[in-house]
Amino acid sequence: MKKVMKTLTVAAVAATAMVSANAAMAEGERYILVSHAPDSDSWWNTIKNGLALGGEQMGVSVEYRNPPTGDLADMARIIEQAAASAPDGIITTLADFDVLSGPIRNAVDSGIEVIIINSGTPEQAREVGALMYVGQPEYDAGFAAGQRAAGDGVSSFLCVNHYIAQPASTERCQGFADGLGVELGNQMIDSGQDPSEIQNRVMAYLNANPDTDAVLTLGPTSADPTIMALDQMGLAGDIYFGTFDLGGDIVQAIRDGVIEWGIDQQPFLQAYLPVVVLTNYHRFGVLPGNNINSGPGFVTADALDLVADLAGEYR
Amino acid sequence: MTTEPIIQMRDIAKHFGPVIALNGVSFDIRPGECHCLLGDNGAGKSTFIKTMAGVHKPTSGEILFGGQQMHFDSPRDAMEAGIATVYQDLAMIPLMSVTRNFWMGREPIRKVGPFKFMDFKTANDVTMAEMRKMGINLRSPDQAVGTLSGGERQTVAIARAVHFGAKVLILDEPTSALGVRQTANVLSTIDRVRKTGIGIVFITHNVRHAMAVGDRFTVLNRGKTLGTAARGEITPEALQDLMAGGQEMAALEGSLGGTV
Amino acid sequence: MSNTGATVDERIKETSKLRKALIRPELGAIVGTVAVFAFFIVFAGDSGMFNPQGVLNWSTVSAQFMIIAVGACMLMIAGEFDLSVGSMIGFAGMSIAIISVTLGWPVWVAILLTFALCIAIGALNGIIVVRTGLPSFIVTLAFLFILRGFTIFFPQLIERRTIIGGISEAAAGDWLAPLFGGKVGGAFFVWLGDLGVIEVFSRGTRAGQPVVDGIPMLIIWALGLVIVAHIILTRTQFGNWIFAAGGDAQAARYVGVPVNRVKIQMFMFTAFCACVFATCQVIEFGSAGADRGLLKEFEAIIAVVIGGALLTGGYGSVVGAALGALIFGVVQQGLFFAGVESSLFRVFLGVILLFAVILNTYIRRIITGER
Repeated sequence: MKKVMKTLTVAAVAATAMVSANAAMAEGERYILVSHAPDSDSWWNTIKNGLALGGEQMGVSVEYRNPPTGDLADMARIIEQAAASAPDGIITTLADFDVLSGPIRNAVDSGIEVIIINSGTPEQAREVGALMYVGQPEYDAGFAAGQRAAGDGVSSFLCVNHYIAQPASTERCQGFADGLGVELGNQMIDSGQDPSEIQNRVMAYLNANPDTDAVLTLGPTSADPTIMALDQMGLAGDIYFGTFDLGGDIVQAIRDGVIEWGIDQQPFLQAYLPVVVLTNYHRFGVLPGNNINSGPGFVTADALDLVADLAGEYR
Repeated sequence: MTTEPIIQMRDIAKHFGPVIALNGVSFDIRPGECHCLLGDNGAGKSTFIKTMAGVHKPTSGEILFGGQQMHFDSPRDAMEAGIATVYQDLAMIPLMSVTRNFWMGREPIRKVGPFKFMDFKTANDVTMAEMRKMGINLRSPDQAVGTLSGGERQTVAIARAVHFGAKVLILDEPTSALGVRQTANVLSTIDRVRKTGIGIVFITHNVRHAMAVGDRFTVLNRGKTLGTAARGEITPEALQDLMAGGQEMAALEGSLGGTV
Repeated sequence: MSNTGATVDERIKETSKLRKALIRPELGAIVGTVAVFAFFIVFAGDSGMFNPQGVLNWSTVSAQFMIIAVGACMLMIAGEFDLSVGSMIGFAGMSIAIISVTLGWPVWVAILLTFALCIAIGALNGIIVVRTGLPSFIVTLAFLFILRGFTIFFPQLIERRTIIGGISEAAAGDWLAPLFGGKVGGAFFVWLGDLGVIEVFSRGTRAGQPVVDGIPMLIIWALGLVIVAHIILTRTQFGNWIFAAGGDAQAARYVGVPVNRVKIQMFMFTAFCACVFATCQVIEFGSAGADRGLLKEFEAIIAVVIGGALLTGGYGSVVGAALGALIFGVVQQGLFFAGVESSLFRVFLGVILLFAVILNTYIRRIITGER
């Protein structure tokens, strides 16, 4: 309800703003953001907020769509559907090139501008005819994190993969392993999405492999239960702990010294910037000359206050 | 009644593990008669008719069908031989139409090229005609059986058995759940069917219903037959006594442990 | 209800006609379909929902639901459930991907082997249910997990990932793949595009070609399955056995209906439908993912229930289930066009489901004469 109210307010504000704005400006551009995330994934809230803010500031209407269960075949239908409603632009993730490239290319070919965010690679974005790619190259981010951990003396790790069906998740773990210079092997577990299951699996793995140096989680979904698991086992602050993405509990854990660093891919930018880019492209024909890397940014205990304030909302 | 029996069952015994359900039951049924099988609950009536209908195989004893020894491996075998059973609760499927119920398991087939369809026209016509013969005018053959009264459902089941050439019709307590008027309808249906030369085995524990249509009466008690009497050889009171023949036993048991 | 012979009066006959029209199992679904379309024509009529692309979009989604709903409907009428449908979809897709891409066998071999495998698993489901007498709910729930587990395990074991792509390349030139992933009527749509009836791509390598370039085989499969299943159910001896097996298995057995065989065959048919769904999806998208088909078993059951079938078995209609699937697809996609927040889709779905079940219960009371 809050969101509906917000949207209404935004629309009202936008409408008034538009009236006073330059009349030559094209009005009422419509952009649709399609993600691959299931409803249960709270990390995407930041994307929704960034999208709404972008829409509000630029005076365009924005919509957020996702497949309720995270089924990528359903996501392909959503992109087709979005294209059928003839928006000015589609902002979408490219979670599986095979499945999504067809619908995206169809949208591009029927005159809709597309920006790829979050998942996929800049090369794939170019191949489907998108304007640009805004995101964090997953393998590279994992690799950078792995190198950092290697510098801190880590030689074995556990990757808690809560979204095993998403190739990008596995790439993060693979990149981390390669950055460390070790084989991924059985160090990645399929944790599922349920918090207590994740917690139990992490505990089971660490009990079975007590000489594990580090834990890598792939987002709040796996990080929050892992924090609890480490607390319970008395390993919190003892074992080396890094995570992708931020969230309220992750920020607190970084502050508490439980988590060494969080890799912030700054999802806010992934939703906000495409809206700005698309709007300016449609209104003035201007376009940045390259892809935009929204991350990785390593967030550590230093300078955490702004992140802490806005974690889960804009950070 | 000098005709040969259609079925003769001699000294049938049936054991379920340590439980002796039937311990020497002899029974026969002739064409065109209504042979009532009486007995209290637990007397072994159900086990006995299931043996006759091919559901159970007897532990010992023999079944003669038309004078020849028979072994039924399944209800289907018994049905093929002409023994049809109408079970009290399991006769009809309420959500299905009268026609679908009537032909269930033996649907008429109409071939169109290589495809086989169910011949609904024949099925509907025959169903209506057979039901009319039994004195029931259906609104429509598509009518769901659930809309029929209990007596009418029994009648559909009986009409079905008769149509498919039953020589022996076993009716398992067809009147026990019915009101007075519906009971009268079912009893008159039994009478009608008997006159076509079909042998009827009428299971009941109601002496009055038995006396109304029965030609012979066999009483079953604790897995044994207590004897068979023809109509006119026995009074309702005597029959009632025979059925309660276990009453002395019952009184005895009652004093021992109140298990009655 | 009188059985006094010729005194049945004409008035009863007339009301009977009306009632007969009212108590069709499809009734709820027909009313629902009309209502849903009316709603979206009013609220989303000019949003692109009813342009060729939009129509194709919701028809494709509805057709997907239809394929699995037909199987679920037949099985439910036979008195059983299959909760493993969704997992079966993921499993079948992965099986095709592993056989064709990893093993490098021809795609037609992969498809045929996968169909054989799925139908065998369906039969196993059925055999376990009829042999043990356990509720199919539990048995197929077990298979929901077993199949999903294998679907994640095998690709990880073999390829170290959970999405296997490259099926499009493998399927190029295959004789069987177009039967599932192809499109028909291309020339017709090109003609429509030339006439300007439908839009054409404005740029790219396909500029000038129509945005809708054919009817996906998925839709042909859905319609084909609906028609065949409807005829089998309502017009054949086997159909009568399906009703009988679900209506009262014991009564059906007593008159010689091979109830166990019927139920096992219905489990196999459901698996077949899931496999058709998976094959169409895999060939169209060119990849198989471990998360494909999540929750699809419930969506199938919901479509069937909206279509008027009873959860207790013995009553229902394939046409109803198909309309239920259509409602499902149109509502799911249509809410987007109407600009409704997507999370509210579940609310709508719940409301429709509740109404459908209440209506169906009422209809059954009329049929069985309960009051």
